[in-house]
Parts: sequence; C-alpha cells; structure tokens
Amino acid sequence: MKKNLKTVVSILFVCVLCGSASAKSKKTTLTMLISRDQPMNGIQSVCDKAENTLGIKIEMELSASGTDFDNMVKTRLASGDIPDFIVYNTGSLLAPLNPEDNFINLSNEPYAVRINNAFKLSASINGKLYAVPFGLSQVGAVMYNKKVYKKYGLSVPKTWKQFIENCDILKKNGVTAIIGTFKDSWTSQVLFLGDSYNVCKAVPDFSAQFEKGNMKYAATPAALRSWQKLADTTPYYNRDYLASTVSDGCDKLVSGEGAHYIMLTDNVLPQIASLYPDKINDIGVFAIPGDNADDNGITVWMPSGIYGNKNGKHTEAVKKFLNYYMSEAGLDVYCSALDVISGPMAVDGYTPKGKRIAALADMEAYFKANKNDAALEFKTAVKGANAANICSECASGQTTAEQAARIYDEDCRKQAVQLGLKWK
Amino acid sequence: MKKNAVYSIWFAVPALVVFSIFFVIPMLISFFFSLTVWNLKSFTFCGFDNFRLFFTEHSMNLSVRNTFVYAAVTCSAKLILSFFIAILLSGSLKTKNILRSIVFFPTLVSTIAVGITFSALMHPSKGLFNILLQSLGIAPVDWLGNTKLALLSVAFTDVWKGVGVATVIFLAGIQSISRDYYEAAVIDGANYMQQIYFITLPLSKPARNSIIILALIGGLKSFDLIWTMTGGGPGFATDVLASVIYKQYAAGFYGLSTAGNVIMFIFITVIVLPLQQYLIKKEEQ
Repeated sequence: MKKNLKTVVSILFVCVLCGSASAKSKKTTLTMLISRDQPMNGIQSVCDKAENTLGIKIEMELSASGTDFDNMVKTRLASGDIPDFIVYNTGSLLAPLNPEDNFINLSNEPYAVRINNAFKLSASINGKLYAVPFGLSQVGAVMYNKKVYKKYGLSVPKTWKQFIENCDILKKNGVTAIIGTFKDSWTSQVLFLGDSYNVCKAVPDFSAQFEKGNMKYAATPAALRSWQKLADTTPYYNRDYLASTVSDGCDKLVSGEGAHYIMLTDNVLPQIASLYPDKINDIGVFAIPGDNADDNGITVWMPSGIYGNKNGKHTEAVKKFLNYYMSEAGLDVYCSALDVISGPMAVDGYTPKGKRIAALADMEAYFKANKNDAALEFKTAVKGANAANICSECASGQTTAEQAARIYDEDCRKQAVQLGLKWK
Repeated sequence: MKKNAVYSIWFAVPALVVFSIFFVIPMLISFFFSLTVWNLKSFTFCGFDNFRLFFTEHSMNLSVRNTFVYAAVTCSAKLILSFFIAILLSGSLKTKNILRSIVFFPTLVSTIAVGITFSALMHPSKGLFNILLQSLGIAPVDWLGNTKLALLSVAFTDVWKGVGVATVIFLAGIQSISRDYYEAAVIDGANYMQQIYFITLPLSKPARNSIIILALIGGLKSFDLIWTMTGGGPGFATDVLASVIYKQYAAGFYGLSTAGNVIMFIFITVIVLPLQQYLIKKEEQ
C-alpha cells in the first residue's frame, strides 16, 4: 500500500516537472502577488493580452487583505521568496519595504514622464521611482444612496454639523445612518484618514512637521478634529457593524438599508457596478465635510503600485510587461475591462475610456475645482501600524477622541523610531 | 562506573544536538536581537529601548490581563469538564468508544477552521447561536463584538476544542487506578459520589497536574484562535500578549517583536515553573 502510494506520487512529481519545464520553454512565466481585495478585471485582461502579444504569462497569486497582506509582503521580501510583481500600496507603506534593495528603479523607463507627479512622489524613495499606477485613483469620502436622500429630503452636507444632522434624521426614520464594516478592520480608518484634506487646509505644513515629529494629533486642534469626527459617528452604525465585511457594506448601501458608507471608492463602486449594474447610478459621493461650508475638498488615495522584483530572474520580461501596461494600448485594455470607470488614471494626458457613472461625475467636480488633496500617508512616511485598531476602538466608543489621538501619536512614534527618524 | 556514565551520555547526544540547534541557539540569538532595531538584513543596537517601548504599548496592561484571564478560564474549564467527561467515559457505557472519538474529534480539526466556523456561528444577526436564541424569545447577544464578552466567547471555543486532549489524559489516569480501591470502598459502603471524591480525585493527581500545566501554558501562549475570531478586536479588547507581539512582527518591527517574545518567555516561565514545583511536591505527599 505504502509502496504503491510512493510510486504514484513520484510519477506525478515527474509529470509536473516535465509539464512546467516544457511550459517554460515556450513562454516566460512571471508571478504577481496581489491582494484579493483589489479589483481584478482590468489587470487580468492586460495579462491575458500580454500572454498573446508578448509571450509573457502572468500567474496571479491572490492573497489575504489588509494587515495580513502587509505582513505577507514584508515577510516574503525579508525571507527572499519574492514574486516578479507585487501590487502594493504606495506612500508611507512603501518605505519599510526597502525598495532600493528589492525593486527595479523605473525612473528612466520611457513611460516615467507621463506618470502624474503626485503619484510619482508617493511611489518614489530618494527621488527614484519604483512603481507604475495600478488602476484608477480613488477617493476616501462619503458614498451615499441618492434615493434615500431624496426620500427624506436631505441635501449634500457642506459642514460636519450638517452631516450629523442628516444622520440624526436618518436614524429617527430607522435607516442605518452610517454603515460600519469593522470585521474588515482596515475600513475603520477611512473617516480619520479621509479628513486629511480638511486638516492640511487648516494647517498647511502639518504633513512636513508631523513627519519630523514636531506636530502631533493630540496637540493640533485641526488634527484632533478628525478624531472627534470619528467619535461622533459612534451612535449611527448598523447593529452588526463589528461583524460586517466590505461586501455586506456594499449590499447595505445599494439596498438603502444604510445611507452613508465612508470608504475608499475603488473597493466599493466596482463591486456594486458588477453585482448591481442597474443600481450603480443611485450611489453618489461627497467629500468628508469640514467645518467651513465654503471649502469642501476631497481626499485622494493614490492607487496601488505595481512593483517589479529587482533580484528576480526575469527583470527584462518584467520591464517589457510594464512597458506594455503603461502604453496607451495597454491602458485602454485595462480600462475597457473595468465594469465602470470610478476615478481618474494617474497618467497625465490619459482619459480612461469606459462606462461612466454618477459617482464619477460627483468626484470630477472636486478635481475640476481643484479641491482635492492626497491623503497624509502619501505625503509622509509615518503612519501608525495600529491605526485600524485605534480607529475601531474610537468609533466603537471604547476611547474618547483625545485618548485615541494620544494613542495614535504614540503608535506613530513607535513606527518613526523603527524607520530611523528621531522623534521625541 | 564512570565509563558507564560516559557511555550512556552518548545516547543522549543526538537529542541534545537537535535540541540545541532548534531551541537553545535560536533562543540565545533572539535574546541578542531583542536588543536591536532589526529589519532582517541589518540591525542597529539599541539596548533596552525595545523593552521600554513594549511596556509602554497602549494595550499592554490590557493584554497582560487578558492573557491571564484567558489562560485561567480555559485551564479551569478544561480541567473540570474533562474530569467529568472522563469519569463518564470510563464507566460501563455501551457507546463509550464512539463517544470517546466524538469528544476527541475537535482537537484534530485545524484551529483556523474552528475559528472561522465559530465566528460565523457567533455573527450577531446571521449566526446560528443568535437565531437559536431569538427563536426561544431571548434577545440576541453580540458574542464577538461586546468588549466584555468577546474574550470569553473565544475562551469558550478554545475549551470546546481542547477538552478532548484533557479528557484523554484523564481517561488514562483514571483507568490506571486499581479496581481494588473501588471494591474496598464498596465493601465499606461508599456510594458513587464518595468513590469519586475519595478515590478517583486524589489518585488521578498526576493526570490532573499534567493537564493543569499543559492547559495553562497553552492558554498563556494562545494566539491562533483569538486572531482568527477577533483579530485582537474590537479595537484592542481581546488582545493577548501573543497577538500584540504578532502585530509588531506583521508591521515589520522584528527587533521589537523579538523583545516581546523574550518578555513572554520570561512571563510564562515565572508563572509555570513555580506552579510545577508546587504541584509535584503535592503529588509526592
């Protein structure tokens, strides 16, 4: 019995070896590590096209999401088991990955000049560019159900006070005012991080001073306001907010069970567009309101970046693929495979071609009026590793805004020390 | 005589080599790296900064308290439940063997699978537990979202999973008690409860001590079930030492998390070693 099993296993093993050997001789196979929370249609169709036109086959390794994906990437980089491509955040999350040692320097590639400057800033360390934009830019803002707003005669709030008033009316009428999806704990941060436009408008050098350790959230009133807003939301969540996931959140927003969902648009709109194509235009977007009705601006999240492994065996093939992806033809393939265009592309002079939605028009209004700013994590390298838990603690009412701000400052200090910044 | 001693030491050498390579040397290396800021490729020496940083961690007090509570609750629950189940299964029950398999089965299942399943069962609106409660007219309970209840819910799942091993150990211990004692007791007119209290309980002490030590260490180290079910949340409410360390490791702070591991090692040793001495002494009495 044992002997038979051994023979079968060794035969299978040899077959697999032969199979993979013959596959390698026909075309180059590259691996791409990507979180399963990312929208896949676009990149999948580019990879399929690349297989036909360039002879480069890309195997997707779908991985966990949130902090678990963070952990997975850091561990694999540290242990040397690095895939050819990694799709990962840009901005503050890039610094701890040792990009100079691990990723290909793309600054001199032919497409580098066409990449939007704000993205270039967040995907570069020491002036060297390491990534191309993965997909569309998105915003961290309040997505709302237009039909629910119409039903209760509400208008888009221009100040935080008006927003809370809207929430009160909704709550009184039995509608979940704010949808919470804290089982995916990273989503609890969006309100806090998305308030960045308001913070940076009030204190223009906050990001620079914060990075140096001279300004703190607890001591800067405009920054503390972000935590106070988070604390204000505690009474408005759905009853199962601690067990709900992003998918649940999308369902609740579309059905009208919940009116507001403060989240990153790219994790919500494409999902709604593919599951509820006839209801996608019921969803609108407005920026997280500040206290000044005249200055409403939206906080932009740079897209994730596609990083290439510098020390792999296929760096030429990697560069070839990225070249194709960033060409007008490649970008068209990407955008046409998306269900909807839910934001701009971080490539200057390129307009994504595809199905436009109501939410996109809402977002573009902010861009046209120049009322947009990149989120703080794309302007400084310091973002506390426990941000999600601290936000979740504050939003669920376990800590006050002041306590949460202090805890977050401490958490940032811990990360700053590990990054080698001298914080007091 | 001396030649005999040297000769027998050689038999222990392979085991000692394996033990040193996989346990002692990594332990010493980790003591070293706990004093550095480390990113696996290079390190800068920073003395006891990591330890200081670890102790000022926001959730530190809470996580130490949670670790204690979790270990105490799971250990005592496993001990008491397994004792009674073992007595039941060592009697003369026709379905004894099948029941033993059923009791032991949860231990064989992957902890992650158990965690995911019980999280789904404990979902506040869609979970089976709450649906059952609602059908009985009781208000639904937020098992994993209520900060006071979450840790106990996870502890409950841990006990469900771990009671099998403890039962097996107790079974072995109980069955090794000679029948003569029971016969003598019956002759002296002892009833069933008295037999258990005066014979089974004291004579199963070795088994009981093993279970206490194993369950306590397991409870103090516990990580995977808590992480799967709550991720240390909501907020930091179910954080234990191991999950605090894991979060720092996940953030890439390798020196800091190594320091945390050293602290946990000392913490567990300080609790378990004296306990073990105490239990062995009582056993010998």
